[in-house]
Amino acid sequence: MIKIYLHIVLVFFLFISCEDSIDNGPIKFKIKSAKDTGLDFSNTLNYSSELNIIEYLYYYNGGGVAVGDINNDGLEDLYFSANQLPDKLFLNLGNLKFRDISNSSGLNKDSSWSNGVSMEDVNGDGFLDIYVCKVGNYKNLSSHNLLYINLGNSTFEESSAKFGLDFSGFSTQASFLDYDLDGDLDMYLMNHSVHSVRSYGKSVKRSEKDSLSGDLFFENRINEKENSFINVTDKSRIYNSSLGYGLAIISSDINDDGWPDLYIGNDFHENDYIYINNKDGTFTESVKRLTTHTSRFTMGVDIADINNDGFRDVFTTDMLPYDKEVFLKSAGEDSDKVNQIKREFGFEDQLARNHLLLNSGNNSFNDIALQTNTFATDWSWSALIQDFDNDSWNDIFVTNGIVKRPNDLDYINFLSDVDFGNYMVSQQSNLKKILIDQMPTLKIKNFLFKNLDGFNFTSTTSSQIGKPSFSNGAAYSDLDNDGDLDLIVNNLNDEAWIMENVSENDNNYISFEFEEKSNSKGAKIELYSGNKSFVKEYITTKGFQSSSTHKIHFGLESISKIDSIKIIWPENIQQIITGFDINHNNKISRTLSVKKKSFKSSNINTHLEKFPFKHVENLFEDYDYEKLIPEKLSNEGPALVVNDFNGDGLDDLFLGGATYQSGQIFIKQINGKYEVLKNPEIDKDSNYEDVDASAFDFDSDGDLDLYVVSGGNESKELQPLSQDRIYLNNGKGLFTKLPLSLPFTNGATISSADIDNDGIVDFFVGARSIPRSYGLSPYSFIIKNTGKNLEIVSKQRLGMITDSVFEDLNSDGFVDLIICGDWMPITVLINQNGSGFIDKTVEFGLGDSEGLWNTIEITDINNDGMKDILAGNVGLNSKLKADLSKPINLFLDDFDNNGQIDPIIFYTLFGKYLTFFSKNKLTEQIPAIKKKYISYKEFSKVETIEDLTGKSEDEILEIKSIKELRSMLYLGSKEGFKKIPLPKEAQMSNIQDFIVESIDGNVKVKFVGNHYDYVTELGKNMSNSGGEITDFENFKFNTYKSLNLPNSFNGRRIHKLSSNQYLIVLNNNHSYILTPNYEK
Amino acid sequence: MKNRYLIILLIVVTGCQSNDKYKDSLNDPETFQYAIKSLTDIIVYDIFSPPVASRVYVYPTIAAYQVIQKQNDSTYLDLAGQLKGLDRVPDNKNEKVNYNLAAVHSFFTISRKLIFSEDKLNNAQDKLYDKLRSEGLPRSVMNASFEYGELVANHIMNWANKDNYNQTRTFSKYTIRNETEFWKPTPPDYMDGIEPHWREIRTLVLDSADHFIPKPPLEVSLNSNSEFNNQLMEVYNIVNELNDDQAGIAKFWDCNPYLSHHRGHAMFATKKITPGGHWIGITAIATRKSNSDFAQTINAYTNVSISLFDAFISCWDEKWRSLTVRPETLINEFVDEKWVPLLQTPPFPEYTSGHSVISTAAALSLTKIYGDNFDFVDTTEVEYGLPIRKFNSFIHASEEAAISRLYGGIHYRMAIDEGIIQGRKVGNYINEKLRTIK
Repeated sequence: MIKIYLHIVLVFFLFISCEDSIDNGPIKFKIKSAKDTGLDFSNTLNYSSELNIIEYLYYYNGGGVAVGDINNDGLEDLYFSANQLPDKLFLNLGNLKFRDISNSSGLNKDSSWSNGVSMEDVNGDGFLDIYVCKVGNYKNLSSHNLLYINLGNSTFEESSAKFGLDFSGFSTQASFLDYDLDGDLDMYLMNHSVHSVRSYGKSVKRSEKDSLSGDLFFENRINEKENSFINVTDKSRIYNSSLGYGLAIISSDINDDGWPDLYIGNDFHENDYIYINNKDGTFTESVKRLTTHTSRFTMGVDIADINNDGFRDVFTTDMLPYDKEVFLKSAGEDSDKVNQIKREFGFEDQLARNHLLLNSGNNSFNDIALQTNTFATDWSWSALIQDFDNDSWNDIFVTNGIVKRPNDLDYINFLSDVDFGNYMVSQQSNLKKILIDQMPTLKIKNFLFKNLDGFNFTSTTSSQIGKPSFSNGAAYSDLDNDGDLDLIVNNLNDEAWIMENVSENDNNYISFEFEEKSNSKGAKIELYSGNKSFVKEYITTKGFQSSSTHKIHFGLESISKIDSIKIIWPENIQQIITGFDINHNNKISRTLSVKKKSFKSSNINTHLEKFPFKHVENLFEDYDYEKLIPEKLSNEGPALVVNDFNGDGLDDLFLGGATYQSGQIFIKQINGKYEVLKNPEIDKDSNYEDVDASAFDFDSDGDLDLYVVSGGNESKELQPLSQDRIYLNNGKGLFTKLPLSLPFTNGATISSADIDNDGIVDFFVGARSIPRSYGLSPYSFIIKNTGKNLEIVSKQRLGMITDSVFEDLNSDGFVDLIICGDWMPITVLINQNGSGFIDKTVEFGLGDSEGLWNTIEITDINNDGMKDILAGNVGLNSKLKADLSKPINLFLDDFDNNGQIDPIIFYTLFGKYLTFFSKNKLTEQIPAIKKKYISYKEFSKVETIEDLTGKSEDEILEIKSIKELRSMLYLGSKEGFKKIPLPKEAQMSNIQDFIVESIDGNVKVKFVGNHYDYVTELGKNMSNSGGEITDFENFKFNTYKSLNLPNSFNGRRIHKLSSNQYLIVLNNNHSYILTPNYEK
Repeated sequence: MKNRYLIILLIVVTGCQSNDKYKDSLNDPETFQYAIKSLTDIIVYDIFSPPVASRVYVYPTIAAYQVIQKQNDSTYLDLAGQLKGLDRVPDNKNEKVNYNLAAVHSFFTISRKLIFSEDKLNNAQDKLYDKLRSEGLPRSVMNASFEYGELVANHIMNWANKDNYNQTRTFSKYTIRNETEFWKPTPPDYMDGIEPHWREIRTLVLDSADHFIPKPPLEVSLNSNSEFNNQLMEVYNIVNELNDDQAGIAKFWDCNPYLSHHRGHAMFATKKITPGGHWIGITAIATRKSNSDFAQTINAYTNVSISLFDAFISCWDEKWRSLTVRPETLINEFVDEKWVPLLQTPPFPEYTSGHSVISTAAALSLTKIYGDNFDFVDTTEVEYGLPIRKFNSFIHASEEAAISRLYGGIHYRMAIDEGIIQGRKVGNYINEKLRTIK
C-alpha cells in the first residue's frame, strides 16, 4: 500500500513539471497531465533477449492512437496500442477528462505486440468498431489481428475470426475504404517485412508472395451471403511480397476520379506504392508515373490540400536529421554507385528526407519539401496535415524520435565490433544488450510546421513543440469540442500525451460529421465562401499506425458566412447544401436526390509529339574520377541551332549528338515537317560530344556555317576529342569540316557577333570546366575573324561557363558579352570599341550574383529601352541553400600535396556552416582527414575549412562562392541591374532555357527546366519541367502557368518553331514538339 | 589486461633498485613483438583494406630492420640497393644509442604516420617507454636512441612517400561494366572496388606489378559444358554441401577486416585482421617458437612483410586486369537468386585469389628462414573468437588458406590454383633477390 502511494506521489511531481505550455507564435499546445485527464497510459518497452532492436527491426516503432466516438455521445474516445503491455481504451467524459474502460469494455488483456489501430464502422451498424494490427507470428510473439465489434453499449466483442480478419503475421496498419463503391468498407492490410540475410535484391521479387509480410486486400461481404470479409489480394493486383516494408498508409482519391486510391509508404529500398483504383476491383501501382522521387525510409503519410488550390497534396516522413552534428554522424544517402545498382535492380529514385508532394492537378506530384524547408525532422513517424490555428491553411504536425540510433556511424564502425557467430547462445543475449546499450539515445522535440500562405512555413526551429520525447503514433481531434483540434500522441517509455490546443486567435471554424460513417468514407467536402473555396476529404487512417477524428474540420480565419458546401460522394456524386452555421459541428446525411457529377474536366489542352531525334548519353561516371563534385558535367547538351541552312527561307535545325552519336541536320519542308539531310562529314565526328553550336557566315560566302562546341567532361584538355569544329556550308545544307586550330577545352557555349564592326562575324567560345579539376576555371576565348585568319582577342579563365550572349548593353554601337556559369556571377564584359573587353560586372550591379547559372536571355521585358536579363539558376527547391550573408563556398587547393586539386564545399544547412560531403567521402579523396578525425563525433564539430584542412582561407589557392540560387529577372536601369526573383513556382527546379514572346503587347516568358545529374546528397532536381511567366507589369507573377510537360522531362532547350509550336529538347531523351493550345 | 597492471605495479615498486633492468627488456624480442601487436590492433580498429594494410606493416618494419642492420652489419645486409629507390640510411654517430630502442622507436614513428588512430598508438608507445624508464633507462640513452630512430624513420618515410600511394588516392574509381563476365559490386553493401590502381604502387623487390602475370582466367561461359561453368557450379555445390571441417577452415581464414551485418536499421561491423595480418601473426608464432633474438625477429618480420607487400601488388595487378566476376554475382543471377556464400564476398575482382597469392609468398619467406618442417599451432585468430589450428609447415598453412576461399564460396578453383602459382613465383623471386643475412 505504501509503495503504491509513493508511486503516485512521484508521478504527480513528474506531471507538475511537464505542465508547460509552449509558445509557437499563434499556435500553442499544452501538454495535459495524466492526473488531470485520467489518461494513464505508457507504451513502455522491456528489453528481452528474444525481442529487441537486433532481433526485430521495428522494435522501437512504438504504438498508435485511434480516435472515434464509440458511444455516440458527441465526444470522441481514444484507443492506445502498446507493444509489450495491454492496449487501453478511454472514454471521453468531456472537458478533457477520460475514464479507462479497457476492462469493462471487454478488451483483451494480454500483452501481445500491437501496432496500428483504426476505429471504423466495419459492419455498418452505426457504431464504431476497432481494428488492431499485431506482430503475431515471430519469435516469442504469437497472436493475430483483432476486430472489436462494438455492441452498442460501450462493450466490444472480438470478432476477427468471424469476419475473416484474424490475420497473423507482421501487420503495421489497416485502412478501410470502399474500393468497389458498394456502400461498405473493405480493408487494405499493410504488413511489413523483416530483414533477410540479403538487405535487398532484384525488384522482380515484388511478384513473389509472402504469407506473413505481404500486403493483403479484403473485400467486405458482410451484407452478402458470405457474412464475412473475403481475401481478394490476388484479384486486386496489389503487391503481396516480402519486399514491402509497409509503415505508412492512407486511402485517398489521389487522381480525383471519385474512386478511392491508396498511398503505401515503404521503408528501405522498396518504392512507395501508389495504387490507383481501376474501378473494376483492381489497382494499378503508379508511383513511377505520378512522382519523380519519393522519401526512402517512408514512415508516415497524410494527404490534404496544402495550398488551397483544390488539389490534395501528399506529405511523407523520413529520417533526415536537422541538427548539424547528428546529421554528420548519421549514415546518409546511398552512394551514387549503390543508387545506380538499385536502379538496375528495378527500384525508383528515393531520397532519405521528408517529401511534400505538391499535386499539379495534372496527375503528377512534385516534391517541394526542400523549398518549403519541411524536409528534415529527424527520425520521423506521424505526419498529420490539418489546420491547427483555424487560419484556413493546413499545417503539418510531425512526431519523431527513436530510443536507439543504430545508424550512428561511430557506433557502426567502432562500437559494434561483435561477431555473434563466435559466442554461445547463452552469451549472445548479454552481448546484444551491451550492443544495444552502446547505441546512442537522443530524445528530440516533435515538429509543427505552421503554414503561412500555402507555400511558406514557419521555420522549423521556432515551431518545435512540446518537449523532447520518443513520439510515434499520433492523431488529432477536437476532444473538448471547443472548436480547435487537439493532438493525441503515443510516446515510447513515457506517458501518452493529450496536447490541448490553446492557440489564441479569433478565427472561425466549421466542422461536419457524416451520420452514416461506413458509406461516406472518401467523401469530399468543398466549402465555398465568396471567392474562396476549400476542400477536405473524409479520411481517418493517416499519419503513423493511427486514425484521427471522424469530423471534417475547416479553419475559416475571418470568414463569417459559408455560401454553400458541396459534398462529393464517392463516384463523384455531388450534393450541394447551404445554410450552415459556422463555429459548429454539423451532421450530414446522404440524400437520394443527388446527381452524378461529371468528371473534373482536365484543363490541360496541350499536345506533345515526339520529334524524330533522340539524344543518347554515353555511360561516363564523372564521380569515378572526381569524388568531391556536386554534379556530373558529362551530361550537357544537346546543341541546338535553328536557322535556314539551305536558303529556302525556312528555318532548319541542327541537333548535336552526345559522345558516340553524330549531330543531325533537319531540313524543314514546305509542309512543316522536318527531314534529315545526311551529312557524311558531320556523321564522321560522332565521337565528339556536341554541347553547343552556332550558325554564322564564317567564310562570308552568304550562307550559314556551323561552329560546334565539343564537351562532355570525358576528354581532358588538349586531347583530340576536346577540340571544337567548324563546318562550312555548301549553300544547300551540306557541310564540310574546315581544318582549323580551334580551342581544345571542355566546352560549353558559343556566341557569334561582329565585335569590331568590320562586317565579319567573330565569336566567343566559353568552356565549362577543366576535366578532373572541378572548380578551376578553364580558358575561354574571344576570337576575331579577320577574313584571312582567326585572332585570339582574349584568352582568359573567366569561370565555369554555361551560357553566353552578345548584346549591346550600353548602346554604344559595339556588342558586349554577357556570360554565366557555375560559382560565378552573371558577368558583363563591355566592348571597348572593338579593341577588347573589360569586366564591368560590378558596375552593372551584378557583383553579388554568384550562382549556379544555367542560361541567360537578354530582352527588354518592360519596353523601357533598357536591356534586361533573364537568368536560370538552380532555384530554391534544393538542399543547397545560399544568400548574400550565407554563401556556399568552394575551396580549391591541393590540400594533401599529391598534385590533384581537392574541391571542398562548405555550405549552411539548418543554420550551421558545414562540409557538403560526408567524412567518408572526404576521406576517399584526402585520407589525412580520417587521421585528423577518427571519430564522426569529432568530425561533426568541424566549423571551418581551417578546422578541416589546417589551411586558413588566406592560404587557400582559390575560393569561389555562390550567393544566389534563385532564377532571376535582372531589370536594366541607369543605376545597373535591379534583381527581381522569378515566382516561387519557377524556383521549384533548375531553369535551363527561356524564350521570350510578345503576343498582343503582352510579354510571355516560357522556360524549361529540371536537372538529373546531381550527387545523391542533393538528388535529382525535377519538380518543374517547364512553365510560363506573365504579368511583367507589376512583377507579381500571379498568373504563372505550368506548361504541363511530363515531370520526368530533363529539359535543356526550348525554341519556338511556329506561332503555336515549340521544340523542347531534352538531355538523354527524345525531343518533343509542344502545342500548348491544342484543339482536337 | 590484468597482467599488464600487475607488471607495471611491480616495476613501480622495484624500479629504483634494479638500475639496468631496461637492458633485459630491450634485448627481449617480446619488446618488438609488442610493437608489432600494437600496430596490428590499430590496423584492425582503423579498418584498413588488405593491400593498404600490407603497406602499413612494411615501412615501419623496414625502418626497424635498417636500424638493427647498422648494429649488426656483420650478420645482416643493408636493404638499400635491394629495395627499389631505397638509399642507405644515415649512420649513427652517437655511442649512447641503444639500437633496439632506436629500432622500436623508428617503427612507432613510421606507424604513427600510416595509421589513423594516433592516440592509440601513442598510448601503446608510452606504455612501453614508461616501463623502460621505470626499469632505469637513462635519459641520455633514450634521447640518443629516439634521435637516431627518428633520423632513420624520416629517411624511410621520405622514401615511402614516393611510392605513389598519395597520388593513387585521387585516381579514378572502377566504373561498373555491365557485361556478364566483368566484376560488379556484391551484396550486402555493394561497396566500390577496393584499390583499382594498386598496381601503380612502387614494388619493393619485383621489377614491376606485372612481373609475374598469371595465365589468363578461364573465359566466363555459362555453357553447361564449359570448364568455367564447371568451376562455378563447384563453388555452388561445395558451399551447399560443406562439412564442418571445411566450414571451419573457411571461417578460420576469413580475415575480413570489415564484415558488415544488417538487421533493419541496425548495422554492425565485425572487424578482424587482414590476410596479411594473419601472416604477421604466424610470424610472431614462428619467431617465438624458434626463440629468435631481437634482430632475428625483426629480420623475419621484414622478409614476410616485404613478401606480402609485393604479393598484394602482383595480385591486385591481375585482379584489375582480368576483372573477373565473383561467383556470388553469377550464381544469384543465373543459378539461385537466394544463394549466399559462407563468407561475405570481398569488394574486388575474383581472379586471382589474394589469400592464395599472399599466403604462398609469405609462407615461402618463412620457410627460407625457419625451414620446411616447422610445425606450429596457429593461435592468431583466437582473440577474434576463432579456434586454433595446427600445421606441419608454413606451406601447409598457406595451402589451407588458399583452398579456404573455395569453401567460403568467394573464389573459383582457378583463382586458387593460379594464385598459388603466382604466389610461389613472387615468393621464390623475393627469396632469391632479397638477401638479409650474410
